[in-house]
Amino acid sequence: MYKEKIVNAITGEETYRNYTAAEVAEVEAAIVEAAERTTEAQAKATVRASALAKLAALGLSADEIAAL
Amino acid sequence: MAKQTFTTGQVLTAAQVTSLQQTAMLGGSASAKVASYTLVAADAGTTVSMSNASATTITVNTGLFAAGDTVTILNTGVGTCTITAGTATVSKPTNATLALVTSAGGVLYFTATGAATFLPFDVGSAAATSNANYTLINAGGTALTGAATVTVSGLSGNQKLLIYVKQASSASASSNFGLRLNADSGTMYDGIGLYTTSASSIGVEANGAAPSSYMFTLGTQGTNVANSIYAYALIDGANATGLKSIISHSNANGTAYSAYAHQGTYAGTSVISSISIFSETGNLDAGTVYVYGSGA
Repeated sequence: MYKEKIVNAITGEETYRNYTAAEVAEVEAAIVEAAERTTEAQAKATVRASALAKLAALGLSADEIAAL
Repeated sequence: MAKQTFTTGQVLTAAQVTSLQQTAMLGGSASAKVASYTLVAADAGTTVSMSNASATTITVNTGLFAAGDTVTILNTGVGTCTITAGTATVSKPTNATLALVTSAGGVLYFTATGAATFLPFDVGSAAATSNANYTLINAGGTALTGAATVTVSGLSGNQKLLIYVKQASSASASSNFGLRLNADSGTMYDGIGLYTTSASSIGVEANGAAPSSYMFTLGTQGTNVANSIYAYALIDGANATGLKSIISHSNANGTAYSAYAHQGTYAGTSVISSISIFSETGNLDAGTVYVYGSGA
């Protein structure tokens, strides 16, 4: 269960409350979005690495590739 | 022992001498109150302590005390106890407050029967309502652990708030971190920002047309849960009813790129009484948030 911790800055009193159903739904949606972001970033990195490898195979130096 | 006029030949009891000794050593008997109270002449030379979970007042009237009299005030309750000028005037140092938080106190020193100066024991603990300097409000910081959202409350009375997030992290990889004001999850946050989460890309966020439900993204750990976030946010207008101006920057350390720079507004009209740091996809598991306040 996701929780919110609430700390009073003046007294130091600390209390907890459980997330509401709506807040839990937001977290679950964010988890899906985060997974999609990760997958997308990994796919992009894979494509980039592949492209760099192909450019290198064509005979371009690292400096030449970086200059593109 | 309450102030009294001694007479020639009067014999003091041991209890009276002990009480006088206590008073001479800046102690003295305490008159415990649990509800708002108006000082009486017999309070001269004593301590009046207040204990109440809600706000209370201690009222100071004229015609009861003489020049040179003192009354020590101590608030032991959770509710703020405010020293209130009734028919007397009550002055204080510029950067002090008459609103005493828990464990705050001081001495009312009467310069005339109708005029007293409040001398707080600790000016530094006073609310920053008229102090241009920033003062750490949550002493020692608040741990960003044990919950997905950590809220720091009790921040009212500060025109500016400076929030410093030190090494926040979540067990959830690539979790975004956000900031909310007054626990407001409505679409009240507008602004623009630049961010990068890799060495080769820069992104732009503009949510003026479609406000966000939180104060932008403070940062993300990237894909490395060993990373942590350093961030700060400066809020102006926190003690007013208009739009609040917000500037925030954040960076992730470790191996993953993450840098965010945002500026914008929060449209809530209430004064800011709390701030919340949250991890979007899992519990916060490390870090500290420090909240500084300024009255100017």
